[in-house]
Amino acid sequence: MNGEAILPYLIIIPLFGAFSMPIVNLLGRKAREAWAVLISGATLIVGSGIFYSVWDTKEILVYTLGAKSPLGQGVSFPIRIVWEVDLFGAIMVLMVTLVSFLAVLYSLGYMKHDTGLDKYYTLIIILELGMLGIAVTGDLFNFYVFLEIMSIASYALVAFRNDTWEGIEAGIKYMFVGSIASAFVLLGIALLYGQYGTLTMSYLAVKLAESPSVTAKVALALFIAGLLFKSGASPVHMWLADAHPAAPSSISAMLSGLVIKIGGIYALTRILFSIYGASISVKTVGWVIIIFACITLVVGNAMAVIQNDMKRLLAYSSVGQIGYILLGLGIGLAAYGSQTGETAMAGAIYHTFNHALMKALLFLIAGVVIHQLGTRDLNELSGLAKTMPKTTFAFLISAAAIIGMPPLNGFASKWLIYESSAVFNPILGAIAIIGTAFCTAAYVKVLYTFLGRPGESVMKAKDPEGSMMIPIILLTAAIIVMGLFPWQISDKVMIPAAKALENQLAYIGAVLGGA
Amino acid sequence: MIQFQFITAFLLTVLGIYAFLAKRNLIKLILALDIIDSGIHLLLISLGYRIELNQIPTAPIYTGYETLKSPMVGPLPQALVLTSIVIGVCVLSLAVALTINAYRHYGTLDVRALRRLRG
Repeated sequence: MNGEAILPYLIIIPLFGAFSMPIVNLLGRKAREAWAVLISGATLIVGSGIFYSVWDTKEILVYTLGAKSPLGQGVSFPIRIVWEVDLFGAIMVLMVTLVSFLAVLYSLGYMKHDTGLDKYYTLIIILELGMLGIAVTGDLFNFYVFLEIMSIASYALVAFRNDTWEGIEAGIKYMFVGSIASAFVLLGIALLYGQYGTLTMSYLAVKLAESPSVTAKVALALFIAGLLFKSGASPVHMWLADAHPAAPSSISAMLSGLVIKIGGIYALTRILFSIYGASISVKTVGWVIIIFACITLVVGNAMAVIQNDMKRLLAYSSVGQIGYILLGLGIGLAAYGSQTGETAMAGAIYHTFNHALMKALLFLIAGVVIHQLGTRDLNELSGLAKTMPKTTFAFLISAAAIIGMPPLNGFASKWLIYESSAVFNPILGAIAIIGTAFCTAAYVKVLYTFLGRPGESVMKAKDPEGSMMIPIILLTAAIIVMGLFPWQISDKVMIPAAKALENQLAYIGAVLGGA
Repeated sequence: MIQFQFITAFLLTVLGIYAFLAKRNLIKLILALDIIDSGIHLLLISLGYRIELNQIPTAPIYTGYETLKSPMVGPLPQALVLTSIVIGVCVLSLAVALTINAYRHYGTLDVRALRRLRG
């Protein structure tokens, strides 16, 4: 399959689908739902095609918007917007399209009783569009535009149920924090443009390697600050714990599973590895990220233990898991170019993918519980296992996976991170294990509640049917199947992705042509 | 020559950040966000302003450039700032809409009242 030819459709299909939604909506509810499923399904097909193409050919896809050389021949630098997809980007594309498709499918049943659903489906597809754009772009300002598309759609979706104070309050907090973080990123981009006069990531990498400057370091600090805000790293994680529970559950699944990773981790990784790469002191920056990661993974997991609200517990657990991914990223940077760094980076990428599946599944299950019982207070959910056995089984699988139990998918990715952190610095390994202890405590608490003595209110509950159950079954199956081949996936996909990420010259050469 | 535009951009951004941290009214916070954005926009747009050969640069229009031969301002920052202004308007309208809703639920615009979510 020719990846380069289908790459633009990754953006065209959701863009067309989102803005034609109000027109399709005139045909009625059925047409609207069919359209949403069709668009996200088509995007999933294109996304899988791109992933397969990049994985199969092991080459970096480059797509140029407009003419290849608008000023005619003889211009030695790229002056147009390029999209560039390496294996890491392709994994993210697959992850985004898959989870978004399942979230849309789930919304059909979950959002049935809400109004204004044409706007809901428009926004959910725009959210997907923004994330896909971030994953494919090779231009800094283009990245900022997609970041803002994603952020604005997610602010609006958090506050979607504007008849409740919870959604509004969380939406306002999320919006202010997110806008400040975006302003940081924009300021960083402005400084880099002022210093080097280009926005193409690969050309910027060349310029940075030629003449590193203080401005570039200030810009890097702004990028790190802004993107750590967006990824919900501690000590600025408070907005996440408010925003993710307040959104409708299908949106929480996308926010926790995708948005914080694409808008935070992926963007940060891309900037650190592909733009700055070896031209900065990787050890210092790596350690800065490691310190944030350690705080995040302890605070997030520990705060999860004391929550009584099921979705809030899951949101804090997301903060904790972001800590693991950041730890892998930080070690990958601090041990740049070594075997340990590669393993850590592969673990971070693997855990990003796995956590997207696991946390999406957990939030969808929380949504089912809210749908059936109207509450997410853990004190009132006692004994759910009797009346909702399938849901409880799915919860058991995903909780075991997120803790890192073999033979589920979370085990392999966490193992890679533990292993590399223990090799790099045993203290970091110990901190990671402490985080997992808290994480285990939090999920055991929920499971204990589910398996406890049934209360009166849970007796009426039952497993959901149709469109709400299918995504849960698919995600559970994905977790189990991925758990059966942990090392094959790691060797065939994740390690090459980490290698492609570290190979900055290939990233540059794909655009500039053998530079 | 002192480059006033950079000083102004810096002052605007710092002013915005100060207002964002010090003010408690939602409308004022939204204004603070806009001021920060304006500072960054001013910085970006002044990056494109280049004085060469002591001539004031003109608008970046290529038609007739051969006869004019005067320097031009960089067109790219202008495109970026236009895009960024559009994004800013999106955020602004969403923020105002959320503020109206917050006023309906809380009866006040004081951001300290928005503290019901805890834990």
